[in-house]
Amino acid sequence: KLTYFDGRGRGEVARQLFHLSGVPFEDNRIPMAEWPAHKASMPFGKMPLLEVNGKPLPQSYAIFRYLAREFGFVGDSPFAAAWVDAVADQFKDYFDEIKSLLFVHFGFAQGDKEKMMKDVAIPARDKFFPMLEKIAKDNHNNGHFVGASLTWVDLLIAEHVSVLLKYMPGFLNDYPTVLSTVKKINSIPKLKEWIDKRPDSTF
Amino acid sequence: SMLRYKLIYFPIRGRGEVARQLFYLAGVPFKDDRITISEWSSLKAKTPFGQLPVLEVDGHQLAQSFAIFRYLAQEFGFAGDSPLEALWVDVTADQHKEYENKIKPALRFQGSEEEKEQLMRNVAEPARDKYFPLLEKIAEEHGSSGHFVGASLTWVDLLIAEHASILLKQFPGFLDRYPTVLAIVDAILSTPKLKEWLEKRPDTAF
Repeated sequence: KLTYFDGRGRGEVARQLFHLSGVPFEDNRIPMAEWPAHKASMPFGKMPLLEVNGKPLPQSYAIFRYLAREFGFVGDSPFAAAWVDAVADQFKDYFDEIKSLLFVHFGFAQGDKEKMMKDVAIPARDKFFPMLEKIAKDNHNNGHFVGASLTWVDLLIAEHVSVLLKYMPGFLNDYPTVLSTVKKINSIPKLKEWIDKRPDSTF
Repeated sequence: SMLRYKLIYFPIRGRGEVARQLFYLAGVPFKDDRITISEWSSLKAKTPFGQLPVLEVDGHQLAQSFAIFRYLAQEFGFAGDSPLEALWVDVTADQHKEYENKIKPALRFQGSEEEKEQLMRNVAEPARDKYFPLLEKIAEEHGSSGHFVGASLTWVDLLIAEHASILLKQFPGFLDRYPTVLAIVDAILSTPKLKEWLEKRPDTAF
């Protein structure tokens, strides 16, 4: 059972892993209005939560890594799996910098979008995406960020880039290899199937 | 050099120490490459993310401290005894990282006594009281025999014990309301091979 908001956010990669592996799961979506009551009763006070053996666990990346390992999306070797972890953690640092602007776009917060673009988003982008572009190029532009098969960091980045392109078109024009890698990931048939049929949400 | 492994980091414990401890506990030799600031300025552009620590395995670089710790822990048998245990180790480590980021401004702060008191009240104590009850709960439900998760030493044990040592050196008594955590940290630091390393490692302030 996966418990999260009725949105993609920090739960979507887990849902994608279930769908890609054909493993059924309870997609427990909590409406925003019910969240305060739930939050008070949750041991960790946050989501997503994955229930394993009846026990709920927090921490999205720990959840993604666990499911990816169970279903075969961690990478081709222990060293590749470590690289998946490294790229994900580097992405997390970048996301923490840019999320304030994204929350304004999602309607969770107020802010001056143009000022935040200049002061927050562009510096965050220009620090992280050159490194990611190099990683994709060094990986022979093969449609994955690490190794030669789909991993959970591919899903993590593709979901985020899709959000960026929706709210800030052209934002990644200087990073063509990243864009082509994301395009290839989103074209994987089983993933495309889920993307086309999943509930719509702004975030 | 015939050594498979090289850890590149500054001459401090910081975000490199857990990796050094894992090598020592596993009895695996490695090059403990403690570099200077000027060496770093020429090396920085050659690292994956422009940060340290970096682990080199047979000449291949790996970055990001937790990715490094988890990789070495899995190779050497300190990642938990099952996928579920490894999951709880990861959950605990990420919870710990979030807490450490919050309490960081209060650690090693050099300022007036009044500012220190404000940081204690407004930053350190709230961060502590949000995290340590969760850590006690995790240990009670998932750890045994002096470990936070599982019945044998894991990299999150090392991570938390190292942090607790620094924390209690600066703020003695700070964790008095968390006796379970203190007992586990004590047990970890008393592990014979780790104790050996703690006694002979280079002395640094942090």
